[in-house]
Amino acid sequence: MLKLSSIGELKKLRNVLFDRIDENKPRIVICAGTACQASGANDIIRVAKRYIIEKQLVGKVSLRITGCHGFCEMGPFILTEPQQAFYTQVKLDDISRIIDALLVDKYVEDLLYQDAHTGEKYYKRDDIPFFKNQQRSILSINQEIDPIRVYDYIAQGGYSALEKVLSKQNPEWVVQQVKHTGLRGRGGGGFPAGLKWELLAEQPSKHGKFLVCNADEGDPGAYMDRSILEGNPHSIIEGMIVGAYGTGATEGIVYVRNEYPVAVKHLNVALQQAHQLGLLGENILGTGFSFDIKLVKGAGAFVCGEETALIHSVEGKMGEPRQRPPFPVQKGINGRPTAINNVETWANIPLIFRVGADKFKEVGTENNSGTKIFSLVGKIKNTGLVEVPMGTTIKEIVYDIGGGAVGKAKIKAVQTGGPSGGCIPADKFDLPVDYDSLAKAGSIMGSGGMIVMDENTCMVDVAKYFMNFLKDESCGKCFTCRKGTQRMYEILDDISKGNGTLKHLDLLQELAEVVKDTTMCGLGQTASNPVLSTLNYFMEEYRRHVLDKKCDAFVCKDLVGASCQAACPLDTEVWRYVALIEKGEYEQAYKVIRHSNPFPSACARVCGRKCENKCNLAVSGDEAIAIRALKRFITDRIDPSVYKPKRISKSNGDARKIAVVGSGPAGLSAAHYLSLLGHKVTIFEADKEPGGMLISCIPEYRLPRDVARKEIKSLLNENVTLKCGVTLGRDITIDELFKEGFDAVFLAIGADKSWRLGLEREDTEGIYPSMQFLKAFNLRGEQLAKGNVGIVGGGNSAVDAARVAIRQKKVKSVTLLYRRTYREMPAYAEEVEAALEEGIKLKTLVSPVKIRYIEAVRDEGIKVETFVEPVKIDSEKGHLVDIRCIRNKLGDVDSSGRRKPVPIPDSEFTIPLDTLIVAIGEQPDSDCLASMGLELDNGGRLKVDAKTLCTNRQGVFAGGDLVTGPDTVVSAIAAGKKAAKVIDHYLSGEELVEPPKVKLPEVFVEPAALGDEELEDITRVEPATLPAKSRKKSFAEVEKTLSVEEATREARRCLRCDLEFTQCTESEKAECAAVEGKSA
Amino acid sequence: MITLKINGLDVSVEQGTTLLEAAKFLGFPIPTLCHMEGLSPYGACRLCVVEIGEGPKAKLVSSCTYPAEEDLRVRTASQRVLRARKMILELLLASCPQSKIIQDLASAHGIRQQRFKQEHEDCILCGLCVRMCAEQMVAKAIGFRNRGQNRSIGTPFDVKSDVCRLCGGCMYVCPACQLRCTYNEPEKAICGGCANLTPPCVDKEQFNDMMCYMDPCVACEIKKD
Repeated sequence: MLKLSSIGELKKLRNVLFDRIDENKPRIVICAGTACQASGANDIIRVAKRYIIEKQLVGKVSLRITGCHGFCEMGPFILTEPQQAFYTQVKLDDISRIIDALLVDKYVEDLLYQDAHTGEKYYKRDDIPFFKNQQRSILSINQEIDPIRVYDYIAQGGYSALEKVLSKQNPEWVVQQVKHTGLRGRGGGGFPAGLKWELLAEQPSKHGKFLVCNADEGDPGAYMDRSILEGNPHSIIEGMIVGAYGTGATEGIVYVRNEYPVAVKHLNVALQQAHQLGLLGENILGTGFSFDIKLVKGAGAFVCGEETALIHSVEGKMGEPRQRPPFPVQKGINGRPTAINNVETWANIPLIFRVGADKFKEVGTENNSGTKIFSLVGKIKNTGLVEVPMGTTIKEIVYDIGGGAVGKAKIKAVQTGGPSGGCIPADKFDLPVDYDSLAKAGSIMGSGGMIVMDENTCMVDVAKYFMNFLKDESCGKCFTCRKGTQRMYEILDDISKGNGTLKHLDLLQELAEVVKDTTMCGLGQTASNPVLSTLNYFMEEYRRHVLDKKCDAFVCKDLVGASCQAACPLDTEVWRYVALIEKGEYEQAYKVIRHSNPFPSACARVCGRKCENKCNLAVSGDEAIAIRALKRFITDRIDPSVYKPKRISKSNGDARKIAVVGSGPAGLSAAHYLSLLGHKVTIFEADKEPGGMLISCIPEYRLPRDVARKEIKSLLNENVTLKCGVTLGRDITIDELFKEGFDAVFLAIGADKSWRLGLEREDTEGIYPSMQFLKAFNLRGEQLAKGNVGIVGGGNSAVDAARVAIRQKKVKSVTLLYRRTYREMPAYAEEVEAALEEGIKLKTLVSPVKIRYIEAVRDEGIKVETFVEPVKIDSEKGHLVDIRCIRNKLGDVDSSGRRKPVPIPDSEFTIPLDTLIVAIGEQPDSDCLASMGLELDNGGRLKVDAKTLCTNRQGVFAGGDLVTGPDTVVSAIAAGKKAAKVIDHYLSGEELVEPPKVKLPEVFVEPAALGDEELEDITRVEPATLPAKSRKKSFAEVEKTLSVEEATREARRCLRCDLEFTQCTESEKAECAAVEGKSA
Repeated sequence: MITLKINGLDVSVEQGTTLLEAAKFLGFPIPTLCHMEGLSPYGACRLCVVEIGEGPKAKLVSSCTYPAEEDLRVRTASQRVLRARKMILELLLASCPQSKIIQDLASAHGIRQQRFKQEHEDCILCGLCVRMCAEQMVAKAIGFRNRGQNRSIGTPFDVKSDVCRLCGGCMYVCPACQLRCTYNEPEKAICGGCANLTPPCVDKEQFNDMMCYMDPCVACEIKKD
């Protein structure tokens, strides 16, 4: 490499290099950033090289290995030039196809980046939303250069800032330019870099001055500095030389952590190259200006990112902050003036001089100029590095660039600024990201970590995690920081273990504030932020932990126990019966189920399966245990008489009379448990037979009538009197019930009034509310649907209605119309799937990629459309002929964290229909309750105290759908069960609810021994179903039961989360053995 | 000379004077644990925090390390200061309840409760001993090791130091050292049970071969016998 001895030579070199670039030459670009290397980029590079050599393509196609591009989620990837095609998650076999296609200027369609949500394919990288919504003024250079080739950097305009600065021969101008941009330090504090430089320039330079690049990036989840160091080390060097020229610094130091081996390697190479080219060292480019940079490797203490601790570390002392003033600019390394800037700040310097200070300033907001790189990680679809102008809102970063949530769980907060930062809740996502706004919201910009959290993240656990980090990473000098973080961790640990009290919360707050106030350095002063911001924004979550002993995110193990059990509203010991199935002890298993669930057979068919959602297999990305199918396996096999419920007989004096209104799952459960407690219960049912939704709404092919009836019958005994055909409000009133001598009333009349669309002519013949439609068929056998049937809605009752309709004789076609995407459909996925198999069309916004059941439908030649909403009803001679619909598109994120459907103007179209079923939701038919002095909310739901189920009338309790609005069967059963307990307590004058207790698994069941092989090829068992063709015209039960082999195999997959709580530890075992030995 | 206002009173001090010294000059008491005349200021115990500045920019700094600045406004006993000081004392009491000095300070500040889990540590890492050893005894036999909650004081790798002259200066300055006279059952220590500022172990013959920073403590070992 030739040493350049003047600015002119550098210019000449650049021109030569620039001329050599052939922009039309095919080229593949492979990212070899640390993240991509971890996902296999090195092998990709090797195979690509071999392919190019073997096929003698050298000269025809070139290869560039670069640093990080930022889209780490999709690594390893290949970018082709000049096409700009972006192939993601490339496999070794794909490389040859990509190169071959590139040579003939074609695309490998199936490997192109596709949006997982909409299925849209992107041919140009910059059209991908992740890239399109960014402004990558710093990161974009990474893809243009090979970091170990200085010529690449120079050809891309590298060192032109230095050129400009040196030609100007005016150091003061350099500082003023930076000052003019208002560039603020990217390390987190946000101190104006220009001001810092000015202060340094003013210092006497007798013994020399230092410039430091702080590359001690230690925040968990942040890695933007690493990507610059790895991908573009020369930009840092150039920035520092410019800085040195402006401030008169003589020595430069890059303090980089040793955990970044690639960064260290690339930096070393770059420093050597800069030396050889005469860009560093004595007499730079013949201008007489000298400056050298040294690399200092840090040993990985988080605190060494703090500038005074960094100075100590560079000096070879213990990394421990000291009091400022004196500031490093006055007294830094070895007592000499020192200016310390972050990697990203240095990377911005060349850009400032290349584009000009005024132009640079145009980006960003008033006090926050330029762009900022964030590392967007956590529960987000597009993990990676994101560069946006300052002042971009969190919403834009999280949803437009990040693509929103990964799964169905809603995004709850983002954590910015690493361990010293705070959590910002979703309702504050309109906050522009800049230094001042974030500080106001109780967080900090930090170096740019952005961790996205969803409902499966427990905020107490988050705070605990950071405190755990900080108690180890605090330098330990300040007593309050060392002990304070330790004590905060201790308190949080107590809370997460269920030992917290409200006093703990106060103490935590008080301590956090004092720690913030009394420590010396930035680490300590911000150490309480994770605690303070979560306390501030997520107090409810803390209170849940402390008061109810519940962790709703299912993270705090000691509050959750086995998550399947904790998720079940009935507290069923799921793990236990699954283990018993594996052992073949089916009767025992039945007893375990029936012990907590009076409707095991019904739940085995229609349960909402909260347990499976929270199954740790599912949470860790595998498939959940098929718990409902296993329950079905047991209930089909074992006779209910196996279980004998415990009964308390009360003397006539103690037994009370209780009226239960409504005989759905809630009413029947309450009646059943009250009768077991020895009370006399009378059930009033408006329909002609008991069962509520189980009979009148849930179709027979899901829950056969004989199964439901048998189960209902098994719950009745001599303590229960059933009165059918009695409607509350019409035949009886609450006052009358009390007059008749009832001591308490439990209302569980459900929610069976369908919502209306609110359109004109909604009462036209041919339009039915879903409840009316389903009841007419289920109770009276009337077939109301005919011809082309449309169903509006996406919930279970919509799908039920659709599937009942398609089984009716005069029906030609059935179409489901839903206003959002399939992902938001509240109906159970398997129900939607089954509906589609039966030939029901689904019109949603989503195009049908990667959705198993929609593909199945397409195979049957059914058209799937985008999401629509009816706006007008047309009728002829009083009968429905068609509806006009409007198409929706995804709009802004609403408070529920979902994107709102927004109508597209002029997108109306007509669907001819003979029958329209409206299934957009139900509400309780509760008008009569208001007249009986009960308080209702806006949705017609009865207001109760959530803890005690008490209404505003003494002695009147309520539960089930009447209170919650339409919900699952299992929730209704849980409400009934709870009501029985509360009413019993009420009648005996006790405290209505017991203090919350943590229920952890207690019974030990020997786990099955699984070989590694078995573990590997074991997958979830899905119960067989009737073939779509044969079931379409019959009401036979669709889902079949598992075989013994299937059930055993499925049960063997269970992770047995209970063992953690029930299995003896080694020491306990020894103790047991010792005790046994003694007794023997 | 630098003129500043402490608790509303003007005071002129020489360049380089700390706020603690300036306050002392005026007679304002500021409690300290890690500060000792003759040793360089360190700022570890945070007990000496004072409030400086006005309005939203007001902040707490450790007076032992903060240099006096022209026109600075200092409050040595504002509510914010007292609140912090009380919490620090409560934390100290929770970690090191045997120390007579800490007990007295807590009592003087009206601490009537201790809400954290009780610990019985024998060191608050104030670093007086380290500075004593380095600055007055010019030995540098002991120093800090590790960071965060693992931080401790001792010799490198726990090997007996060649430069230690067993002067006992480290123990003489220790505000928590009384613990060493309570056997190794600190829970049984009674309040001020050993308010002996000259730990007895120093006088013992066996001490000749021992280092103060050896565990278990010599004195305890002797008494056990």
